[in-house]
Formats: sequence, C-alpha cells, structure tokens
Amino acid sequence: MSKCKKENARFRKESDKEMINLVDNLNQDDDMRFNRRAFLKTAVGASVALGVSTVPFGVRAMMGLEDEDYERVEITKLSDLPKGESMTFKYPDDDDAILVHTVNGDLVAYNSACTHLSCPVFYQKEDDVLLCPCHSGYFDVKNGHPIEGPPQRELPLIEIKVENDTVYAVGRKYRHG
Amino acid sequence: MGKKAYWIIIFTTLILNVVMLQLTTRAYLGREFEIVPIYSGVAFVSAIVTIITFLQWRKAEYGDKKSSS
Ligand code: FES
Repeated sequence: MSKCKKENARFRKESDKEMINLVDNLNQDDDMRFNRRAFLKTAVGASVALGVSTVPFGVRAMMGLEDEDYERVEITKLSDLPKGESMTFKYPDDDDAILVHTVNGDLVAYNSACTHLSCPVFYQKEDDVLLCPCHSGYFDVKNGHPIEGPPQRELPLIEIKVENDTVYAVGRKYRHG
Repeated sequence: MGKKAYWIIIFTTLILNVVMLQLTTRAYLGREFEIVPIYSGVAFVSAIVTIITFLQWRKAEYGDKKSSS
C-alpha cells in the first residue's frame, strides 16, 4: 500500500513536471507572435498604412500643383545645332533637358531624366532614338514615348519655339501624345 | 457575417490598397492631377472599410471566446 502511494506520488511529481514543461513552452513568444490572429492584424495594419499613404498625394494634387507657369528661356541658336545633333540644357529651373535636331530635321526637346530611375537619356543618331544606358530603355525621339526596356511613361515634353534662328523653351507637358 | 467573410474583406481591401498606391503614385508622377484624388479616395475608403471589418472581426473572435469560456 505504501509502495503504491509512493509510486503515485512519484507519478504525480513527474506529470507535474511535464505540465510545467508544457506551460514553460520555449516557443511561447513565437506562438504568440506568429499565429492566425496576429497574421490578420498585420494584414489590417498593412492595408490601413497603404491606404493612408496615398492621402498626401491626393491632397497635394488637389492643392493645384498643375497650374505651373513656365517662363520663356533661350536655349541656343538653331544654326549651332546641325541635324543629327543634340544638346543639353536646363528647363524649367534646374531640371535637365535635351534638345534634339533629328536626322529628319525635326526639332524636339524633352526633360532628359529617364522615367524609369532618372538616368539621363541620350540621342543616338544612328538609330534615331533616345537611349537610356542604365537599363537599356529606349524612347521614340518623335514623341518621347517609351518603346523598349523598363520605362513605362513618356518623357516630359518641352514645348519649343523658333524665332529668328533662336530656339526658346516655352513650356512643359507631362502627359502628351 | 461569418468570420471567413471578414478575412476575405480584409485581404480584398489589402490587395485593392496595394493597387491603388501603385496607381496613385503613377498618376502623381505623370502629373495627372485630376485622377490622383480619385485613386487616393478609393484607397482611403478601403482603409476605413478595413478598420471597420477588423473591429467586427475582433468582436466576433474575442466575443465568442469570452462567452464560451
Ligand atoms: S533608368 Fe532609364 S532604363 Fe532604368
């Protein structure tokens, strides 16, 4: 009888210990952190953060950033820019731009920061295209639209005017063609 | 509404918000200022829907727990 009692006591002790092991789960922190509910809460947080992060764009757009006034700036003399040549200039203010006298004799100008990751684009007269060497992006020189490579948007168009052999930049259009 | 529905709504709004953020930044950088507020409005409403759904889900999830224990 006493032996039995002793065994029982030992058993209880062992099972207690096991219970302690269960309660003392070493992965308890992970279990708390990586579970179904925590997953849903993270998704909620992400969704709200993404939704709210669009608000500043909406507010700034509504504040009317589109009404920009452009000044008229002299770029160069037309006679200094033969066909098939290009030159860089700044317009408006400090934005890099490129003026191209194409091999066909057209005169076009764009902001030269590539619409992919802002590398400068160059005029390649052999193929009559604008090339961004960073990731081999190509733009149509006639309208500035991307034709190959990673860029998705067209280059901003600089409106130009030629008066008395002088080329002037008079405005800029972001979406065109 | 079943708990599954809450999950579906929350993940749908999450996907919608990813797309809206992408469209908003694209329109903003392309200076299409007329459509930026539309995209950002949709994203904002969807964020509110997420919060409301989450609160409902929380009620269902933890409310159940309390009543069953
Ligand atoms: S920066 Fe022009 S293609 Fe990537």
